[in-house]
Amino acid sequence: MARLHLQLRPYEPSSDDPFDSVKAAHLLNRAGIGGTKQEIDKVIEAGPLEAVERLMDFPDEGIEEQDPDGGPDLSAIDGYPRNFREVIRMFKDKSPLERKEFRQQLFKANIQALQQTGMWWLDQMVNGPHPLQEKLTLFWHGHFTTSARDERSAWLMWRQNELLRANAAGNIYQFVRRISRDPAMLDYLNNNQNRKKHPNENYARELMELFTLGIGNYTERDVTEGARAFTGWSHDGEDFVFRKKDHDTGQKTYLGKSGNFDGDDVIDIIFSQRACAPYIVGKLFRFFAYDDPDQYLVESLADVLRDNKFELRPVIKTILTSKAFYSDRAIGAQIKSPVQLLTGTVRLLDVPMPNMPLVFGALSEMGQIPLMPPNVKGWPSGRAWINTSTLLMRYNAGVYLAGGAVPMVRSGLRGGGRAGPTRGGEFQPLAQSSPDELVDHWLKRLIPRPVDDDKRDVLLKLLKTDGVNVSSVRRMVQLIVSMPQYQLC
Amino acid sequence: MNSPLSTRRLFLQKGLALLAAAPTIPTFLDRTMMALADPLDAKRVQQPTGKDGRILVIVQLSGGNDGLNMVIPYADDAYHRVRPSLAHNADTVLKIDNYMGLHPNLAPLKALFDDGKMAVVQGVGYPNPNRSHFRSMDIWQSAAPEIEHPTNGWLGRYFDNSCNGIDPHVGISIGETMPLAMMGQRITPLSFDRPETYRYRGADTKSYLELNQPGEAPATQPATRVGNTRRPAESATEESEMEFLCRTAMDAQLSSDQILRAAGQHKTKAPYPGGEFGNSLRTVAALIAGNLPTRVYYVSLGGFDTHAGERGRHDQLMNQLGLGLSAFNADLREQGNEDRVLVMTFSEFGRRVEQNASGGTDHGAAAPMFIVGGGVRPGVVGRHPSLTDLDRGDLKHNVDFRGVYATLLQNWLQSPSKPILGQQYKLLDLIKA
Repeated sequence: MARLHLQLRPYEPSSDDPFDSVKAAHLLNRAGIGGTKQEIDKVIEAGPLEAVERLMDFPDEGIEEQDPDGGPDLSAIDGYPRNFREVIRMFKDKSPLERKEFRQQLFKANIQALQQTGMWWLDQMVNGPHPLQEKLTLFWHGHFTTSARDERSAWLMWRQNELLRANAAGNIYQFVRRISRDPAMLDYLNNNQNRKKHPNENYARELMELFTLGIGNYTERDVTEGARAFTGWSHDGEDFVFRKKDHDTGQKTYLGKSGNFDGDDVIDIIFSQRACAPYIVGKLFRFFAYDDPDQYLVESLADVLRDNKFELRPVIKTILTSKAFYSDRAIGAQIKSPVQLLTGTVRLLDVPMPNMPLVFGALSEMGQIPLMPPNVKGWPSGRAWINTSTLLMRYNAGVYLAGGAVPMVRSGLRGGGRAGPTRGGEFQPLAQSSPDELVDHWLKRLIPRPVDDDKRDVLLKLLKTDGVNVSSVRRMVQLIVSMPQYQLC
Repeated sequence: MNSPLSTRRLFLQKGLALLAAAPTIPTFLDRTMMALADPLDAKRVQQPTGKDGRILVIVQLSGGNDGLNMVIPYADDAYHRVRPSLAHNADTVLKIDNYMGLHPNLAPLKALFDDGKMAVVQGVGYPNPNRSHFRSMDIWQSAAPEIEHPTNGWLGRYFDNSCNGIDPHVGISIGETMPLAMMGQRITPLSFDRPETYRYRGADTKSYLELNQPGEAPATQPATRVGNTRRPAESATEESEMEFLCRTAMDAQLSSDQILRAAGQHKTKAPYPGGEFGNSLRTVAALIAGNLPTRVYYVSLGGFDTHAGERGRHDQLMNQLGLGLSAFNADLREQGNEDRVLVMTFSEFGRRVEQNASGGTDHGAAAPMFIVGGGVRPGVVGRHPSLTDLDRGDLKHNVDFRGVYATLLQNWLQSPSKPILGQQYKLLDLIKA
């Protein structure tokens, strides 16, 4: 076994460099959406290793395996056909007008179910028992991207969401085999149109380019040959189907190997490539720790994945316990994703999730609607989240959650309707301590890192001028969530 | 090389001081702040447009506009043959010549055409056309078909190459998301949906601005001493995430004040159509009237993906387009700005020549573009593509869209096009000398 890169070795607290609230909050921010004071205290008490083990203590299962009633309310699509056979049966005796009406009903029901699924997921991030599992599910959703746009079935999107959750920290090789059979994925990347006579290269290309190897590690010929291997991998609207008559059984030459390959063979060959492990662990490291890790670090982390036969848990654990993870380069240096910003604020202010049109409208204007990544590349990260428009929306959403004005948003999902007139009045901060105590309390709670004195003074001045009352504390908190520091974690 | 950052900081601080002093800034002070640009930048700097600079307005027709039913070859038998229920009758088409004419609902544009304020570029496209919305839109917006996942666009590269980086107003996109076309490496243009929502909604704007002011020192204190992984390149030249966020917040504040003011002050009798597209154009006209130093505006009209039941839908979109562009032109004429504003329309692709079984058309390739404005050399440019010599059922292009871009960059915006488009494309005769 190769030696672990110095920066990947476990961070060990010392009197010079204690495991303090800054580091504990950092762990909860990156391995979830942020922690409360009590949670931060528990993490400090547990220490960095034990805390990570607790965060990783979730089953490799979807929610419905963990709790049959735990999933979203999909009753909107009850009674609607779930596969192509049922659609044909239901359409058989209908007039064109009836069919049109039925299609419209189905479309509406599908949107409703998607909205339910999205809202359920956000709630799961805020209140669910396994924040790291949900954070990873969001990561994989942006990696094995599938969008509900183009009227994709809500039922398939939900099934895929569960697949991502069950495999979030599992075996990446098995994960790729499963996602390659996932109906929503096959639909999104057109593999149901990949037939021997007319191959469609979309899935075969993205499998290498975006999912496993990265650009530069294959040729156009490999795309064409890989597509041939995946011919006939299709779905019937509900389940994976291998359509034998559409499958090309001829000889293929793929990444230097030749044979009568099918999709599984292609995946095996991909996982024998040198470039595969670094591509995957590099993306995980950047997601959890920081951008641009040096290549030796990534190679060392890739060895961890290979040495553990493509199990993800040891890799995730290595990252979350590493010196690199707790370095200056990582702490407070990541721009929060819109989903993390919104769910984290709901959690830290302890307010109810706003209504669906408002949530999806705000997320849409910030650039991240769950279940609807913009394209196959998934969501951007870092500075790409920020322009003048999205930044104002981020600030305004925070202001609203802290009891301020309702942001004016468009509907984020078609059919969602206008944002309702909900007030941000649910935020009821205690207003009983001194201005200094209140400023420090809320700064620590929302920005768990040192803040310059001159910024602190701005907040203090407000409470001293206006006196301590619910209204002034609200306004002070509205200012904290409108600080650039709050955009970072 | 520390000057861009420090001048920006200076600019932002001065801007902040002014904002603290008064809720609005007189335009002449704005210019003074603009003039704080790095002098090294000066050579490639285009001056803010002020009252006399030229402005380009991009109108994106999203979804794949059926160009064949916009500029209609009414005298071509093949057109009527392949479009039994979608073809417009020859007697309803607004004839440009004895072969083709405009969609019946484009009468307001036909008036501009007859008035010498519009050019039609026929059969615009690119080699090996892609029929995916996303991919083809990326190609049109990046003007770099060879790059699979482009991260910047042709207008963004224009800003990078020809405009100084201190001015956040150089490009404005109306809409929820910033189009790839406007994204540059150095410059982040502005984007907003509606002027009235484009502002900070917190109660205490003054404190908010103080909290978002960039500091001289690194804004985040070292929180820990583990490891030694700080990137050596960071510091002097590289902007930190904090500085970046502060800069964007300041840009947003400076621009939202100006934009709200301009939008609120503008009065016009121009008959804009109802709906989002008309509102976007009205906003752009208001910002032009308000003398924003913006060189490129970007608006969209969506809904062109007419796979089924195309007739009513496309007719209605043509109506919106015609009314919108003619009201916009009338507004600019009232302002006395007609001759310094040029509009370009485009779509990611045209549609299949033959209609499909659902009374619609599928994704196609080449299509016409409109260029509208007082500075246009009016008329028709290029040949109408053949309706019988097709590429997989689609029209073949005669004009590369990058030739149109090059012409607008060089002859309208007076910027070199080669550094932006990678090579010198043949210029078209679209702009008055």
